[in-house]
Amino acid sequence: MEYRSEFTGSPVVVMIEGVLTFDDHERFRELVGILADQAPGPVVFDLSGLTMIDSAGIGMLIMANDRIVKRGGGLRLRGVSGQVAKVVELSRIEQLIPIG
Amino acid sequence: MDVAHSQSGHHEPARDRILIVDDQASSRLLIGSVLEAAGYTRLAYAGDGVEAIEWLAANTADIVILDIRMPRMDGFEVCREIRGRLALDLPILVQTGIQEADCRVDAFKVGASDIVSKPLNPGELVSRVRLHLERRRMIGRLQRYQDRMEDELRAAQSMQLALLPGPEDVAEILQPRGAAMTAFYRASHMLGGDLWQVFPVDETRFAVFMVDLSGHGVSAAINAFRVNMITAGLVQERADPARWLAALNRTLVPILPVEHFATAFYAVIDAGAGEMRYGVAGAPPPLILRGDGRWEELSGRGLILGCLADAEYECFSAQLGPQDRLFAYSDALYEDFENPDASLGAEDIAMAVQAEAAAGSDAFSARLLTRLFGRPDAEFRDDLTFLLIGLNAS
Repeated sequence: MEYRSEFTGSPVVVMIEGVLTFDDHERFRELVGILADQAPGPVVFDLSGLTMIDSAGIGMLIMANDRIVKRGGGLRLRGVSGQVAKVVELSRIEQLIPIG
Repeated sequence: MDVAHSQSGHHEPARDRILIVDDQASSRLLIGSVLEAAGYTRLAYAGDGVEAIEWLAANTADIVILDIRMPRMDGFEVCREIRGRLALDLPILVQTGIQEADCRVDAFKVGASDIVSKPLNPGELVSRVRLHLERRRMIGRLQRYQDRMEDELRAAQSMQLALLPGPEDVAEILQPRGAAMTAFYRASHMLGGDLWQVFPVDETRFAVFMVDLSGHGVSAAINAFRVNMITAGLVQERADPARWLAALNRTLVPILPVEHFATAFYAVIDAGAGEMRYGVAGAPPPLILRGDGRWEELSGRGLILGCLADAEYECFSAQLGPQDRLFAYSDALYEDFENPDASLGAEDIAMAVQAEAAAGSDAFSARLLTRLFGRPDAEFRDDLTFLLIGLNAS
């Protein structure tokens, strides 16, 4: 998994690319840490470059949402497609994190 | 590995046994006196390679200090014998003279652990002996730790397998209610986060439950044990999939860490009425394989468990005729992260299950895995469970 963002503006848009699985835990935590420091407002994860996600990846999105909501911001996902869209649809995480 | 001399973490030179192999008596004496001065008292001597091998075949050493040029059997041959025929992993410290500079690589090739140059520097010799003995002790400790962990994991693994109903338990519940089931479970790392269960609901109905705790290994397995305890208490809710899943979810929310969750499928099946009522919590939608060869994916969906305490679950229903089968499976069956293009679609799975189920229930699981992955013992990166339920118990 790779992420790209200017970490400025509102919302802060983060492009998340590649594959998001158990192996990306450390890198993803680093991203969540940066967001906690530098993005006090709303955050958008743009997943249009994300090709696959596993259950650990879904857990990371939930964890990021939890952290961002707890400090008063909000997280939104956009650009889900392919396998990611399928997993997101099955898990119904739009009940936890708005999508679109 | 001989670890009899390394029970303690402290360095106790007096306990280490050292074999000194050199054809020159003066060299043996020199090495012996240097080591004795450093506190090593359990010293043995051999005058050539043959004596050394004879001694090692009958005794135990913690390290060997070995000369290269010797009559009868040289140091290279001794190394080969120690590593080969005697299969010992003790450190071998080879001494070489300046004129033997090019034999250093050869010494390592035949199994030497380290090299000291002649004429010997007493301080260097003692330091290297100490270093290798310490290293050996540490490897011994790691080995014992690993052995103990493996024993514990094996014990935990059999406890986990004992959680799953056996074929007799399943038959006792399903057979009188007009159904039969084949189940398969395999953890990816000894312990897993998948669990399945069957419950009697009333005289005509039974329930089947399948859950996949996120993550794998020890933490997922502990959560699977917790789910097993929770579901044993969900008796009032058994007939109602929506209430049952909501109750399980409410209990899991405070237990699971924020990034952990579970996916689940719960169904109440009435074989006589040909009806199934079910609820889904993020699980891959099970397939219904019709007796006439058609198949469909169950359309019900619901939020994963353990994230939102007041989540509500819907109860869906589907018809299950006497020739129909229900196939429920965890995502490990179709997700291939190493080779995404090889990920299976529902149709691939439905076709394979139809074909293998038609061939009878004997060795169904092995045949299905072979058809899908080329062999019955294919490896998966996540825990794999699948259940095949037929309403025609005969």
